[in-house]
Amino acid sequence: MFRKHVTRQMSAFLHGELSAGEKLRVEAHLQECARCRAVHDEIRQGALLASVLSPTMAPESVWNEIHEARMAPEGWRWIPKGAFASLAIVAALLVIFFLSRTNVPEGPSWEVAGLPGIPRLRPGDALETNASSEAQVKIADIGQLTIAPNTRIRLLVTRPDEHRIALDRGKVEALTIAPPRLFIVDTPAATAIDLGCKYTLEVGRDGGGLLHVTLGLVALEFSGQETIVPAGAFCRTRSGAGPGTPFFEDSSAALQSSLDSIDSGKEGPERSRQLEIVLRESRVRDALTLWHLLPRVDAQSRGPVYDRLAQLMPPPPEVTRDGIKALDPRMLDAWKAIVSQLWQ
Amino acid sequence: MSKHVIDERTIEACRCGDSEAFRLLFEACKDRVYSIALCFFDGDDVTAKDVTQEVFLKLMTNISQFQSRSEFSTWLYRLVTNACLDRKRALRRFLFFGSSREIEVPDQRKSAEDRYIQRELEVLVRAAIASMKPKLRIVILLKYFEDLSYDEMAVALGCSKGTVASRLNRAHQILARKLSHV
Repeated sequence: MFRKHVTRQMSAFLHGELSAGEKLRVEAHLQECARCRAVHDEIRQGALLASVLSPTMAPESVWNEIHEARMAPEGWRWIPKGAFASLAIVAALLVIFFLSRTNVPEGPSWEVAGLPGIPRLRPGDALETNASSEAQVKIADIGQLTIAPNTRIRLLVTRPDEHRIALDRGKVEALTIAPPRLFIVDTPAATAIDLGCKYTLEVGRDGGGLLHVTLGLVALEFSGQETIVPAGAFCRTRSGAGPGTPFFEDSSAALQSSLDSIDSGKEGPERSRQLEIVLRESRVRDALTLWHLLPRVDAQSRGPVYDRLAQLMPPPPEVTRDGIKALDPRMLDAWKAIVSQLWQ
Repeated sequence: MSKHVIDERTIEACRCGDSEAFRLLFEACKDRVYSIALCFFDGDDVTAKDVTQEVFLKLMTNISQFQSRSEFSTWLYRLVTNACLDRKRALRRFLFFGSSREIEVPDQRKSAEDRYIQRELEVLVRAAIASMKPKLRIVILLKYFEDLSYDEMAVALGCSKGTVASRLNRAHQILARKLSHV
C-alpha cells in the first residue's frame, strides 16, 4: 500500500521539526506500520532520557584565565599559568563577588516568528517590535502570544509550573490552553494571571493599561488583591493604583465614563454624583462591576452599592449589609459565589 | 545559571574592544558552553574549563567578523563544536581518566528523593552519551542543552539538516538501548 517507512524522520517528528504535511504522513504511517512504531517508541525513549540533562555552572576560574590572556601582551599569552597565580586569586575574588550578584533563573526558549534574526526567546531576553513589525511567540507548549507593533516584552521565567513575561509597553494578545495560573504577565500597574483564556493587554507610556478578555477569565493582581475579569469585560489599570473596576463591554457609555471617573480617584460631591450614575445604569450583568466596587469605595458609599447589588443579585442569607460595609471577607466571598454565575 | 542577554549593542561594544561588554557576553554564555564541554568530556572538568576558555578567547579575537546576534549565536556553537572535536582528537593520543566532579544546581521544587533519582539517572545518561562517537555526542548536547533547531544545528555543525536528523536518530537509539534497563 504506502510502505515508505518513516524511521529516518522519527527524531524530527518528535522534536516538531516536520512540516504539517510531513507530520500528517508520519502519523498516518505510524498507525499502520508496527516496525516504524517500534522505532518511534525507542527514539522517544532515548529523547526522554536525554531530556534529563541539566546544565552545570562554569567555575569562576574560567574567567580569570581568559582575563589574564586578554590582559597579557601578545607575546606573553602562552607563558605558564602559574606566573599569574597571585593575580588570579584577586580576580577570582572579584568574579565571585560579581557572579554572586548575577545568579538568574534559566529555562528553555520560546519560538519566535515574524522578527528576522530573533528565532527564539530565552529567559532574560527582551523582544521589541517597531511601528511596522509584529511577532508571534509560542508560550512554551501552552499557547501563543501575538506581539503588536511598538511593543516591548521580556521573558522572565519559563518552566513547567510557571511561564512569566513582563509587558513594558505596547500590546499583546494571549491565547492559552493550560491549567489556570500557569501564564503570567507583569505590567507596571498590575499582574495579569491567566485562568485559561484569550485576551489582549495593553500598556501605555504612563504604565497604565487596558485588559480585554475575549474568552475565559483573567485575574489582575495588585498588592495582594485580585480583580476577576471574565470574557466580554474590560479592566483599566493605573500605575501605582493597580486595576480599576472591571466592566462588561456592553455596559452603557455613561456607566463606563462614570466608573473611569471614580477609578481615577475623584473625591467629594463629584465622586458621589458619578457613583449615582453607575448605580442607576447598572443591569444584572453589571453585578460584576458593583461587586468589585465594594472595596473601592468608602464605607459610607458602600451602603448604596450594597443596596443596588442586592436588588440585582440578592446575596445569600448569611451576608448582611453591615458585614459588607465592614468588608467582611467571608461575606464578600459568599456573595462573589453568586455573582460569579455571570461568567460560569 | 547564566542567561542570554546578548544584544546588538553588546556585540558592537565587544567589537570595539569594550572589556565590560565582553564580560557581559561571557556571563551570558559561559554556563552553556561549559555544560556542553563538561558532558562531551564525560565530566572532565579540567578539559571542559580549557575548552570553555579556548572558545571565549577565539570569540574575543574574531568577534569583529560578526554582523548580527543570530549569526553570533550560530558561530558560538560552531566554535564550541570545533573546540570539543579538536580537543578530542588531541586526547586520543593519551590515556584519559575523567573525573565526574560537577557543580550542580538543585531544583528546589523536587523532593530530596526525586533529586537523588534524577541525579542518578543523569549520571547514567551522561555516561551513555560519553560512550558515543563525538559527532553523535555533540548533536545531542546542542539539542538538549541549547534547544537549537535542526537548521541552527546544521549551520553550527557544518552539515545538512538531514544529517542532523539522522545523527539524532542514531544517538537517541543508542541511549534507549544502553539504558533499556532503567
